[in-house]
Amino acid sequence: MITLQDQGIIQVNNSCKACDHCTFICPTQAISGKIGQKHKINQKICINCGQCLINCPFGAIDDISMVDKVKEALADPEKFVVVQEAPAVRVALGEEFGLAPGTNVKTKMYTALRLLGFDKVYDTEFAADLTIMEEGTELIQRVYNALGVEGFEQAGPLPQFTSCCPAWIKYAEDKYPHILPHISSAKSPQQMFGAVAKTYAAEQLNIDPAKMVVVSVMPCTAKKYECNRPEFIASGYKDVDFVLTTRELAQLIKENNIDFLNLEDGSADKFIGLSTGAATIFGVTGGVMEAALRTAYEILSEKTLDKIEFKAVRGTEPVREATIEIPVKTLGKKLPVNVCVVTGLKHVDNVINDVLAGRSKYHFIEVMNCPGGCINGGGQPIRRDTY
Amino acid sequence: MSQIKGKVLKHSSQTRTMHWVHLICFLILGLTGIAFYWDIGIIYKIFGGPANASLVHRWTAVIFTAGPAIYILLNFDRFSKFIDTISSFTKDDIQWLKIMGGYIPFLKGNVPPQDKYNAGQKLLGWLVIIGCILFVLTGFPMWLWRHEVSAVFLKMCYTIHFWDAIIMILAVAGHFFLAAIHPVSRKEFSSMMITGYVDAEFSSHHNEKWFNNLKKLS
Amino acid sequence: MSVFIEKEGITRRQFFKGAGLITVTAIVAGVFAKIGIDMFKASNAYIEQRISGLYTLDEKMTLRKSHENPEILKLYKDFLSPGDVKPLSEKAHHLLHTKYGNDIPQLIAELKNHQHNAA
Repeated sequence: MITLQDQGIIQVNNSCKACDHCTFICPTQAISGKIGQKHKINQKICINCGQCLINCPFGAIDDISMVDKVKEALADPEKFVVVQEAPAVRVALGEEFGLAPGTNVKTKMYTALRLLGFDKVYDTEFAADLTIMEEGTELIQRVYNALGVEGFEQAGPLPQFTSCCPAWIKYAEDKYPHILPHISSAKSPQQMFGAVAKTYAAEQLNIDPAKMVVVSVMPCTAKKYECNRPEFIASGYKDVDFVLTTRELAQLIKENNIDFLNLEDGSADKFIGLSTGAATIFGVTGGVMEAALRTAYEILSEKTLDKIEFKAVRGTEPVREATIEIPVKTLGKKLPVNVCVVTGLKHVDNVINDVLAGRSKYHFIEVMNCPGGCINGGGQPIRRDTY
Repeated sequence: MSQIKGKVLKHSSQTRTMHWVHLICFLILGLTGIAFYWDIGIIYKIFGGPANASLVHRWTAVIFTAGPAIYILLNFDRFSKFIDTISSFTKDDIQWLKIMGGYIPFLKGNVPPQDKYNAGQKLLGWLVIIGCILFVLTGFPMWLWRHEVSAVFLKMCYTIHFWDAIIMILAVAGHFFLAAIHPVSRKEFSSMMITGYVDAEFSSHHNEKWFNNLKKLS
Repeated sequence: MSVFIEKEGITRRQFFKGAGLITVTAIVAGVFAKIGIDMFKASNAYIEQRISGLYTLDEKMTLRKSHENPEILKLYKDFLSPGDVKPLSEKAHHLLHTKYGNDIPQLIAELKNHQHNAA
């Protein structure tokens, strides 16, 4: 049986004009060919990020679709289908309906999903908050361990890398296996959601988890690879069943003749659907870092932040750094936490090599494959702006 | 009317060389270009595969660009005269165009006196100049800056390059027909393709205004 | 036999026409380059716009810190670490944490074992 992993999520189709625009964009040189020669993707080293796809001038690259599977589940009266959507989706989905990039269509998105027949409409942002709780605490433990505080010897080494980007994870596994102990053990929000949906939520809703289907709407093609990873079965079932990209959701909405622009405002369902602003900014480069800092600062200092924004980690330069002074109440001192934000996986090698050589000054490093963050992911609406 | 005996030197050896170089380049570029667009295996075979065909296309393009550039530098006076001729349109040219020089069977009429190039050739001159500029402007980004330019710009270059090729191939086909096949116009064939000379009899009738301004060496 | 040739020399008008064409070509090339540069800038404008959209949305939200999300706190108190909010609890480890690379087969075995025991 050929699995999705074998086929590869990203495929070159017959429209390839061999213009060679994509090879420069690929972080792993997985897509290759000479000019004039139809390009091919080496599925072994492809990290499924889809950057080649959204940048191809001729639309000659496709991502494998699970739309039919989702339709099947929605049509099946036996199945209880729940949906989560990433932060980045809500400021790009509108583009498929003529709105400007960045327009917030969150509430229309919820309504559209209900009209499509999802039994519960949740939000990946809930799980992003969960990720901060888990990963933030993990970071604190690693810091305590590094400082020699007793009781934290089991903690991993510093610096800690974020783990929510599945393209980054595959890159590390393929190319830098020695960096793996540095990567946070926390799952991505998508996967945390699935695990919690089929256990906690199923319990609360009195639904048999065997009948629950978890669908996620993502700005990302690598999430399709991620949901199929064999280890994501902690709930006792496949934690996340299917992934739709923002583009595919728009396609479904159009196929069902839903007048998206005139939809009423909707909201997410209880238990695992509530978002915070910290979760919302997960979709931009520096957002995970800032969300983590908002929580880590308040937990460690046991004080409320005067200023909630950490503008120092914002921006679009590929490698950014900042030092955040965090007062740690239990230790009675201020810790200068050195953080690094990488956007665009082509720029991560130096950072990794510094860590492996023991000369990295950072304590926490956020890595996102896509330049600008998930908002510019391989699953987002494809732009052809000329002016 | 009495027959004018003798011959006219119409195109210098430099001009003829440049024309040959450009012609051969155009054939190679057109052939490989067609192969790319329509994925033609037989043509790929001649060049040793699509990647090789692309390599040949690009380097032939360099010669296609450099050839005229060098010619213009070394023959600036000839080039300037050429531009002057093809940019002068008089009533005689308009009239010529109305009947297409008498070359079309059902469009007959008096063909007015023409310059070194007839009105049709003047238009072709512009078509080739504009066409080649477009090839060069769109072609080199597709090769040298294919990574740097935006996807939309790259696609735009491909589109313009393609339509330019369609128009130019058709124009060159027409030009070839008149230059080498049509029983009247092919009388000038040798002037560009071999010796550089054309019969004085021919020029005195077909390029009267130019002929009347020539110097006679006995 | 008589040979006819063109007269020598060019007029000023002819020179300027030649030079003029070269100049116009250079200008056209410049315009084309500018179009390319403008198109490049425009092609990336959407990224900042989407980024800005999310930060704006964050500013509008009532809850802006993860540890203040009441549903998160309820999840911990009711399920992940009953009675308390304790990230990295055993249940949290089981459901919300993972392993990478060569450690995965062992993790899969553990998870399958866990399922088996739970069943």
